[in-house]
Amino acid sequence: MSIRVAVDVGGTFTDLVAYDERSREFIVLKVSSTPEQPEVGVIRALEALLSKGVEAREISVFLHVGTVGANLFRGQLKLSLPRAALITTEGMRDVLEIGRQNRPELYNVFFERPDPLIPRNLRLEVAERIDAFGNIVKPINPNSLNNAIWEAGRYAVETVAICFLNSYRNPEHERLAREAVSRELGVYVCASYEVDREHREYERCSTTVVNAILMPVVSKYMEKLQQELRRLGVSAPIYVVSSSGGLLDVNEAVKRPVAAVESGPAAGVVGAAVLSRVLGLGQVLSFDMGGTTAKASAVVGHEPQVLTEIELGGKAHAGRLIKGSGYPVRTPAIDLAEVSAGGGTIIWMTQAGGLEVGPISAGASPGPACYGAGGKEPTITDANLIVGRLGEKLLDGGLMLRRDLAERALARVADGLGMDIAELAAASLRILNLHMARAVRLVSVERGLDPSRFAMIAFGGAGPMHVAELAEELNIPHIVIPSSPGLFSAYGLVFTDFRYDYVSSHLTVLDGDSHAELENAFRELESMVLQQLGEKGFKREAIILSRVVDMRYLGQGYELLVPAPSEITRAGLRKLTTAFHEKHEAMYGYSRPEEPVETTAIRVVAYVQTSKPKLVEHPPASAKPQSQALKERRQAFFGDSWLETPVYDRSRLQCGNVIEGPAIIEQYDSTTIIPIGWRAEIDKYLNIHIARGN
Amino acid sequence: MPDKATVELIKRSLIYTAEEMGVALRRSAYSPNIRERADHSCAVLDSYGRTIGQAEHIPVHLGSLPVGLRNTLQYLEREEVELEEGDVVIVNDPYISGTHLNDITLIQPVFHRGELVAYAANKAHHSDVGGASPASISADADEIHQEGIVIPPTKLVRRGKTSREVLEMITRNVRMPSITLGDLHAQLAANTLGARNIAEIINRYGAKTFLEACSEILDQTEKAVRLEYERMPEGEYVGEDYLETISAREERPARIAVKVSISPKRIEMDFSGTEKQVKGPVNTVYGVTVAASMFAVRSILSHHVEVNDGFYRTVRVYAPEGCMLNACWPAAVSAGNVETSQRIVDAIYRALSHAVPDRIPAAAHGSMTNLMMGGVHPRTGERWAFYETIGGGYGGRLGKDGVDGIHVNMTNTLNTPIEVIELYYPVIFNTYSLRPDSMGHGEFRGGCGIERSFTALAEIDVTIVGERSRIAPWGLWGGTGAKPSEYLVQRGSGEVIRLSSKARTRLSPGDRLIIRTAGGGGYGEPRRRSRERVLRDLQYGLISREIAERVYGVEGYSVSTSSTTRAALST
Repeated sequence: MSIRVAVDVGGTFTDLVAYDERSREFIVLKVSSTPEQPEVGVIRALEALLSKGVEAREISVFLHVGTVGANLFRGQLKLSLPRAALITTEGMRDVLEIGRQNRPELYNVFFERPDPLIPRNLRLEVAERIDAFGNIVKPINPNSLNNAIWEAGRYAVETVAICFLNSYRNPEHERLAREAVSRELGVYVCASYEVDREHREYERCSTTVVNAILMPVVSKYMEKLQQELRRLGVSAPIYVVSSSGGLLDVNEAVKRPVAAVESGPAAGVVGAAVLSRVLGLGQVLSFDMGGTTAKASAVVGHEPQVLTEIELGGKAHAGRLIKGSGYPVRTPAIDLAEVSAGGGTIIWMTQAGGLEVGPISAGASPGPACYGAGGKEPTITDANLIVGRLGEKLLDGGLMLRRDLAERALARVADGLGMDIAELAAASLRILNLHMARAVRLVSVERGLDPSRFAMIAFGGAGPMHVAELAEELNIPHIVIPSSPGLFSAYGLVFTDFRYDYVSSHLTVLDGDSHAELENAFRELESMVLQQLGEKGFKREAIILSRVVDMRYLGQGYELLVPAPSEITRAGLRKLTTAFHEKHEAMYGYSRPEEPVETTAIRVVAYVQTSKPKLVEHPPASAKPQSQALKERRQAFFGDSWLETPVYDRSRLQCGNVIEGPAIIEQYDSTTIIPIGWRAEIDKYLNIHIARGN
Repeated sequence: MPDKATVELIKRSLIYTAEEMGVALRRSAYSPNIRERADHSCAVLDSYGRTIGQAEHIPVHLGSLPVGLRNTLQYLEREEVELEEGDVVIVNDPYISGTHLNDITLIQPVFHRGELVAYAANKAHHSDVGGASPASISADADEIHQEGIVIPPTKLVRRGKTSREVLEMITRNVRMPSITLGDLHAQLAANTLGARNIAEIINRYGAKTFLEACSEILDQTEKAVRLEYERMPEGEYVGEDYLETISAREERPARIAVKVSISPKRIEMDFSGTEKQVKGPVNTVYGVTVAASMFAVRSILSHHVEVNDGFYRTVRVYAPEGCMLNACWPAAVSAGNVETSQRIVDAIYRALSHAVPDRIPAAAHGSMTNLMMGGVHPRTGERWAFYETIGGGYGGRLGKDGVDGIHVNMTNTLNTPIEVIELYYPVIFNTYSLRPDSMGHGEFRGGCGIERSFTALAEIDVTIVGERSRIAPWGLWGGTGAKPSEYLVQRGSGEVIRLSSKARTRLSPGDRLIIRTAGGGGYGEPRRRSRERVLRDLQYGLISREIAERVYGVEGYSVSTSSTTRAALST
C-alpha cells in the first residue's frame, strides 16, 4: 500500500500521476478526457496504470479533481440539471431570481440575466419567520410546510433546497423542514445551515440551491467511480480536491459538493504551494498559462489564499468577475484570477486602427496559424515563432511550426497598422504581458500584497516562455520553473494535505474583555471539528488546527480575514486587533485604531498532513552546462534588437548549471525564456531558478 | 508619437487603475449604500481635464463625472486656487460637480517632477448629507438648501495633511457623522491608490509620451464611435415623455421634449420645449442631462466603446438655461438625478425608436424608486438613516422579453440584503417578490415589477421619490403599456392609504409600507406571442388566466400552478 494516485480531469486530457512512496518513482499518464462520462476517462487512465504492472492493491489513496460540478454550470456539456425545488420563507421565493437586482451589463439593451436554477413554479413558500436576532416571530406552520412538500413531490423533484430568512442565526425551522422533506419525499435535501451559516439571504440561498442541485449528480458519479474501482481491485479511499485546495473524503464530497466545485484550477495552485514548501519560499505567486488562459494566484506561508465567495458560471471582464453574471456560492475557494491570454490568443486590429490582443482565442482548433491546421488569424504562438523564442520543432519534433504561415497571418494585421511583422509580434507580446500582469495584480496588489516580495512559480505549457517579462513588469525578483511544467498540477495533487474548513457566525463588537468569549467560541468549534475528524479516523496528533477571525470596523460591510493565535488571551486579543489594523492599512491605505472593531465569524481550518514528498536530489555538477546541452544558436528578438541566442536542451541540464540571459531552454512540453539581465540556475531537484543577474 | 502598443498599454493601465480604485473604495467604505450597492465611480483624467479611463459603475455618473471635474478645475482656476502635490479637493455643489448633493466628489492631482500631469477622481453617493429629511433626497424640496450641506470646491487635504476643520464642518452637518467620515476615508484611500498607479505609469513612459498617448486613445475612441454613427440613418427624430409629479407639494406633470439629430460626425440632443425649471426637487443640473444623453447613445452602439472623452465629444447636449434639465441655482435637484434622469432616457429612446426601431426596447419601469427612511433606533437610541432603490421591469425588445425585477437605465446599484437591513434598522420584511400581471403585453412582453414591503417596528420617517404611478411605461409597435407603480401604507388598524409617487409620511410600529414598482412596456402585438411563452408565464404565475385568455387569446390549455402562486395571484 505505497502508491498514491492523482487524477486531474481536464477538458482535453485526463492526467494521471502515481507516486510510489517506497521507490520514490513517478509514473505519468495522459489519456483523452471523456467529457460526457468523465469516469470513463478516469478508469481508462487507471487501467493504463495497471497495465504497466502496478498492483491494484498497492494503491493507498486515490485523489480526484471534482470537475463534474463545474461542468454542470458551465453549460458546455449539455448536461441537464436535476429537477429541484426550493422551500423558502413566505413572500421571498423570488429572492433567488431577483438576486442583487443589478444587471450584468450596463450598456446593452439586449442584456439578460442568468436563468434562475429553480423555476418559479418550483420555488415554494412556507409561513414562518425568524428575526435578525434569531427570535422566532412566527412559528413554522405545519400545513403550509406540508403543502410545499406535497407540491415538490407532485413534480417528482430529485432534490430539495431549504433556505429561510435569518436562519443563519437560528436554524430551527430549517431543521424541521429538512426532517419533514426527508421523511415525506426521501429525496436529496440540503438546508442552508448545512452549507452556509452567514448572513445575506441571496448568496446563502444560491449556495444552498447549487449544493442541492449538485448532490444527486456528484453522488451518482462517485457511486459509479467506486464501483469501477472495486471492479479493478482498488480498495483505496477516494478523496476529492476542494475548491480551497484541500482534500475531502467521499462522504463530505457527496454531502457538500459545492465545496469542490472549482477544484480544477485549484490543483495547480496546490502544486505551487507544495513546491514553495519544498523550496522554503515564504511568498509565491503561481502563474499557470496554457493555450487559452493565464491564471494567477498568491500563496503565502505555503498556503493558497482563499476567498469566501465565488460566482459559478459567471462572466469575467479582464479577469474580474462581473457581479450578477453567474450563480454566487459562498464556500472557500482559492483566490485565482484568470485572463484570456495563452498561446492561441488572437492578435487583431480594431476598426479605429488600434492594436488589440485577445480576448478571442483560436483555441485547439484551428489553433495558431503556424500549426498549419487552417488557422488564418495571427496568434501569440505565431508571434513567439517570429521573434525566435519558439523553435520550429515542438514536442520533440511531434509538431512542426510553419514560419511562412505565421508571417502571412501577422502580415494581415501588420499591414493595416503600418508596422513590420517582427515589430507587431514584439508589440503584441508586450500587450499580452500587461493583460497577464493584470491577473497577477488582481490577486496581489488588490489584496494588499506587494508582488516585488514574491517569487513566481510558472507552469502550464506557455508559462515558462512569458514569465520573465511578466516578472519584469511586476518587479518580481525570482522565478521558479518546475521540472515538468505541463504536468505540474497533477504532481501537486499527490502531495496535498487534507483540509477541512469550518465557519461559525460570531457577531460581536470587541472590547478589552472579549478574549474569553472569543476563546470559548473557538474551543467549542474546535472540539466539534476534532470530534468529526476523529470519526473519520484521523489521529489527534496528525491534525493541525489554525484559527481565523473575520473582522471589520463597526459599520463596515466587508470583512478582512485575520489569523488568530491558538489561545486568545487578553494580550492575544490585542495582537489580533493590531494585526487587523495593519492588514486594513496594507489593503486600503488607512486604518482607524481608535474605532471599534467587530467580528462577524470565526473560522477553523483543520489540516491533516499526508506523507511529504521525498524527491530525488541530484548531485551538483559544474556551473557551466555540459556541451551536449547546447542544442543550437538562433536569432531571437529581445528588448528592441535581434540577438544570437543559445538554445539549451533542458533534459541535459544538471544541478548547479548557470545560464546567463539571453538564452532559451527547450523541453518536451515547454520553452523557457531567459531575457537579458536575468540568470538561470538549476537546483538539486532540477527546477530552474531565474533571477536578475548582477 | 508613441507606437500603437504603447498607446494600448497606457490605455489599459489607466482603465485598470480606475477599476482598482473602485474596488478599494467599495471594500473599505462604511455605508451600506457604497459597500453593498456600489453607488460610486472612479476616473483618471489627464492634465487638460479629459477623462481617459473610467470604471463603469453607475451610468448617472458616466457623463456627469467629467462635466463635474471640468467645472471644478475651471472654478479653481477662476478662484486662483493652486493645486499642490498631496492636495485633495472635495466638492458636492451640483451646479459645479454635476449630479446632486449626496454625490461627493474627491479630486487628487498627480505630479511628475513638479508638474501637474493628471488627476485621480472619484464620486460616491453618501447616504445622508443633511437637509430636511433623512437620507437627504427630498420629495418636496423647492430649493437646494433643503437638500443638505453644499460644499464648494475646497481643499480637504493640503500637501498630505487632512484638514480637520473641513471634516468637522461636513460631519456636523450630516446625520451619521461616523459613517460619512468612514466613507470619506475610503474615497481618499481610493484616490491615493489611483494617484500612485498613475505616477508609476508616467514614470515608466515619460510625461510627454503619456500625454500624447492620451490624445491618441481619445482619437481612437472617437473614430470607433463615428464608424457606428455612419451606419445609422441620418436625420432628426423627436420624442417626449412626462414626469408625473414635480413635488409632493405640487402634483402636476412636467414635459420633457427632445430632438435627436444623427449625423455621421455626431449626435446632438436638443431639449428645447422642455418645461421651465420647477419648484420641486425634480430639476436636473446640466451634468445629469449630459449623463442621460451619453447613456442613451452608448447603449445603442453595437460595439464595445471605451468610456472616455473621445466618446463624450461625439455627443452634443443642448438644454436651454433655466429649463428643468439645466436648472439655475438655487433650484432643488436631488430627485432630478434619480428620477428625471430616467425620464430623459425614455424621451430619447422614444425619439430613437424611429431611427433604429430594432435596437430600442419599450419603456422600462422608468424609476429608481428611491426609499429614504430614518428615525431613532429603539435598541441603540441612536439616529439612523437608510437609503435604497428598488428595481422593476425592463421593456420588451425585438426577440426578447423584458427582464423581470431589475435595475434599468441610469442606475445599476445592488439591493441591500434584507438580513442586513433587519439587523441594523427597526423593520421586518413581508415580501420581496415579482409582481404578477404588472408587465406590458406584447409579442415580447415587458418584465415584471417588484413588490417590496415591510412592517415598521418603531416610528419611522419615510420619504418616497418614485414615478410611473399615473403615467405608465409605454409599449412599442403594438405592445401595451405596463401596470403603474403603487405606494401604499397599511396602518396597523387595517386602513390602507395610497401615497403619491413623491411623498413623505410617518410610520408607527405595526404599519406596513408596500411598494409595487411598474413593469416594463410590451413590444409588438400581443396576439403574435408564442403560445409556449404564454403558457410558461402562466405556469410560473407571472400572468393570470384572465390575461392569457383576453390579451393573448390562448385557449384550450391546462396549466397547473402551485399553491404559492395561487395565493399570490389571489391578493
